[in-house]
Amino acid sequence: MPILKPGTLEFVSRGADQTTRLGHRLGELVRPGDVICLSGPLGAGKTAFARGLGQGWGAVPPVTSPTFTLVHEHTRQADGLRLYHVDSYRLSGPDDALTFGLDELFLDENPLLIEWPERVAGILPAARLWIAFHFDEGDRRLITFEAAGESYIDLLEEYRRRTFGG
Amino acid sequence: MTLILGIESSCDETAAAVVRDGRTILSNVVASQIDLHAPYGGVFPEVASRAHVEVIGAVVHQAMDEAGLTYADLDAVAVTRGPGLAGSLLVGVNYAKGLAFASGLPLVGVNHLEGHIYSLWLTEAADKLAFPLVCLIVSGGHTELVLVRDHGRYEHLGGTQDDAAGEAFDKVARLLHLGYPGGPAIQKAAAGGNAKAHPFAKARTDAPYDFSFSGLKTAVLRAATVQPRPGQPRQRGEESEAPLKPDLRVADVAASFQRAVVMALVDKTLQAAREFGATAILLAGGVSANKALREEMGKASPLPVYTPPLHLCTDNAAMIAAAGTQRFLQGQRDGLDMDVQPMWPIISLEAMGG
Repeated sequence: MPILKPGTLEFVSRGADQTTRLGHRLGELVRPGDVICLSGPLGAGKTAFARGLGQGWGAVPPVTSPTFTLVHEHTRQADGLRLYHVDSYRLSGPDDALTFGLDELFLDENPLLIEWPERVAGILPAARLWIAFHFDEGDRRLITFEAAGESYIDLLEEYRRRTFGG
Repeated sequence: MTLILGIESSCDETAAAVVRDGRTILSNVVASQIDLHAPYGGVFPEVASRAHVEVIGAVVHQAMDEAGLTYADLDAVAVTRGPGLAGSLLVGVNYAKGLAFASGLPLVGVNHLEGHIYSLWLTEAADKLAFPLVCLIVSGGHTELVLVRDHGRYEHLGGTQDDAAGEAFDKVARLLHLGYPGGPAIQKAAAGGNAKAHPFAKARTDAPYDFSFSGLKTAVLRAATVQPRPGQPRQRGEESEAPLKPDLRVADVAASFQRAVVMALVDKTLQAAREFGATAILLAGGVSANKALREEMGKASPLPVYTPPLHLCTDNAAMIAAAGTQRFLQGQRDGLDMDVQPMWPIISLEAMGG
């Protein structure tokens, strides 16, 4: 698991199950107010990762695809925090996103998971964790993590240590 | 005699209905927003709430007029409390609260999924229904397998781990460049196609009655489109324009995909019906309008299969009034502080203290 430069990490997942497990590990570390972007084409593993992240974080009910309603809201028993899971696919740009109230979710203490973040790039906070999913051979996927901002670099470093050792 | 006014605004239909004794529809008014959302390729929450606000008063008045009743004739107001879009649910719930406050009628919050189950009690099948029943609820936003042990006694057996069935249709229609909404588009494209041309594998799931349609979507992507070179990340949005293979028979892919979804739904529903000794299978929700699903379930099931007519499959308020009747008769009364529940799972009435 080479660290190319601080704040980045690359991993090749063998399939959806492993992608879900990777999400689970990150979910255990997600902090209040974190913004996590999941970027990649249809079928690349965004929802598989989000499902694991929800498990690790403690989301009730379990994370599924929010495409139909644009946003799902999951609560966690332990502290009553909510995990927002947004799918921007159907948003045509920042104007739609503002109409939809996405900017208000950024200010919230609740963590935010956002699929198709490039559709709303103009209003995303500068500090965030960006995870990109790429097709590889067959079921394999290349997953790249990129942290922007000191607190996310710390988060990614902790994730790397916990998940891959070292 | 019990007369209940039902109000439904959980997604993109504003609806009100009056139902007698949970069985007889006196009025059933639905204002659909489908044209408003078409440009977005799906429901857009903010647009939906505004449209609900604009029409809800007229819709409720029309339901009362058509039933030929005044509020004094009613026993209660039942309203969808969840699951659904928070902003949309709020419109119906607040309208119902205002009505309850002004008229002195009891307020009864209803689960939308439970409403879909009770749509069957508004049909002629109601006389033949005997518990336990297994109900498959499939729509754009929901895929739920529910064991109905008695009135108000439900057990959630499984749901989707990723995409709802209707959502899977939408996404595959997008991949095949067939347009929105995906359900009717796939059904049309599949006509004349060979459903065995692409043997898409069955999904594995964590729990026996859960569904997963995400892997199927990826399998369709692989079968139908030209894949990028390994390691070459695609650009944003490219997947929706990913070129189809030049020799592709779209009808075959659509038919094979539809068959895979239908078989997953049918197999698990029948398996659940066997395990829990159900006397019949209920099919509800918008996707239950799919012809292949109705036919296949009917063919494969040794038990009777009941499906409501189309206007009761899709979202409506008569089903909310019917479910509300049961809750009202079992003593449920909600206060004016009742909140909406956007992610409300279906659970038994006693479990929610109602």
